[in-house]
Amino acid sequence: MELSRAVGMSETSMPGPRKLAHDWFDGSIPDNVSFDASNYIDSSYSFRRFRSQRKPALVLGHGSAIYTNTTLDLGHSAQVRVGAFALLNGAKIICDEEITIGNYCLISWNVVLMDNFRAPKKLIRRRAYLDAVLRNPDSAASLQDPPRPVTIGSNVWIGHDAVVLPGVSIGTGSVIGARAVVDASLPNYCVAIGNPARIIRFLAAAS
Amino acid sequence: MSSGETRSGWSDGLLPANVRLGSESRIAGPDAFKRFFSKCDVGLSLGDRTCADGVRFAIGESGRILVGADCYLDDCILLAEQEIRIGHHVIIGWNTTISDSDFHPLAPAERVLDAIALSPAGGGRPRPAIICRPVTIGDDVYIGPACTILKGVEIGSGAYIEPGSVVTRSIPALAHVRGNPATWSSAEPSG
Repeated sequence: MELSRAVGMSETSMPGPRKLAHDWFDGSIPDNVSFDASNYIDSSYSFRRFRSQRKPALVLGHGSAIYTNTTLDLGHSAQVRVGAFALLNGAKIICDEEITIGNYCLISWNVVLMDNFRAPKKLIRRRAYLDAVLRNPDSAASLQDPPRPVTIGSNVWIGHDAVVLPGVSIGTGSVIGARAVVDASLPNYCVAIGNPARIIRFLAAAS
Repeated sequence: MSSGETRSGWSDGLLPANVRLGSESRIAGPDAFKRFFSKCDVGLSLGDRTCADGVRFAIGESGRILVGADCYLDDCILLAEQEIRIGHHVIIGWNTTISDSDFHPLAPAERVLDAIALSPAGGGRPRPAIICRPVTIGDDVYIGPACTILKGVEIGSGAYIEPGSVVTRSIPALAHVRGNPATWSSAEPSG
């Protein structure tokens, strides 16, 4: 009962499809999403491209929240873990294997976190991928390059429109400037900006 | 079967009359036609099997967007006052913007006039002339997430545009493009 109040779930719909009472979109939260009364999910529209069959496919840490326009585009075997008190405010999560977001992260609008480019870079393979994915998204997995997991450490702040590319890890406490393109891993407590992102300074570690 | 209907009935699902959809093409998303004002005979056309998921078609009265077959356009914004032409087998990534106009004049004095003309207190006076130049994207082009393609740009077939690029000048076929402003090399991307 408490759960349904806090996350705005319609009490009458339990235990059927998990609907959000405040939702403008006529969808539901997939069964393999783990969350509780401490979380907030703005709309089931965030799950319109959620295809993962992993159990669990998405884990929301205590007090984390998913706001408007966040998109969870999870492939068949994808798993995303969101840390405690993390805030996703309109990010695009493109995951085919594993993306981990630490505690207290602040992720701004239109930020793209991707563990897979999905489309191959070589032209011939790209065309084969496209022909497959337009027919059935799950059929294209064997035509993609393998995913490379993305790890965002705790207490990371990512500015709007930034892109974090496959295989990147960002260390604890770092800040990524708006519109940065992060193509290589970054250490703890740095500030990185630009395309490609470069470190401009370091911050005092949280005590 | 082509489908302009939305998935779950949160839009009225009506397509503007001057939209042409090829077979098995698909448009999804609540804001696809929020800023669609084209009065051209064909304001938007999608080729066979082309998928536009979350795309916003912001098309002015005399603008049009023509997209080829087998394209995947994902959560991008296409703004056409004149014409954006996209080839076959093109991928356009999340949050990318393509426009054929800067939408306002460059000269400060003209921008003042434009601001007044656009104001609700502007009394309906006409806007100053604004330069538009069509954008053309060839076949088999990949445009990554968070890119910007500006007016007058022609992108040659097979080009690969890295995420976050801002493309201000035309790009030859098969070029590998990155940066802001974008530069290119002729080496095929690795991987």
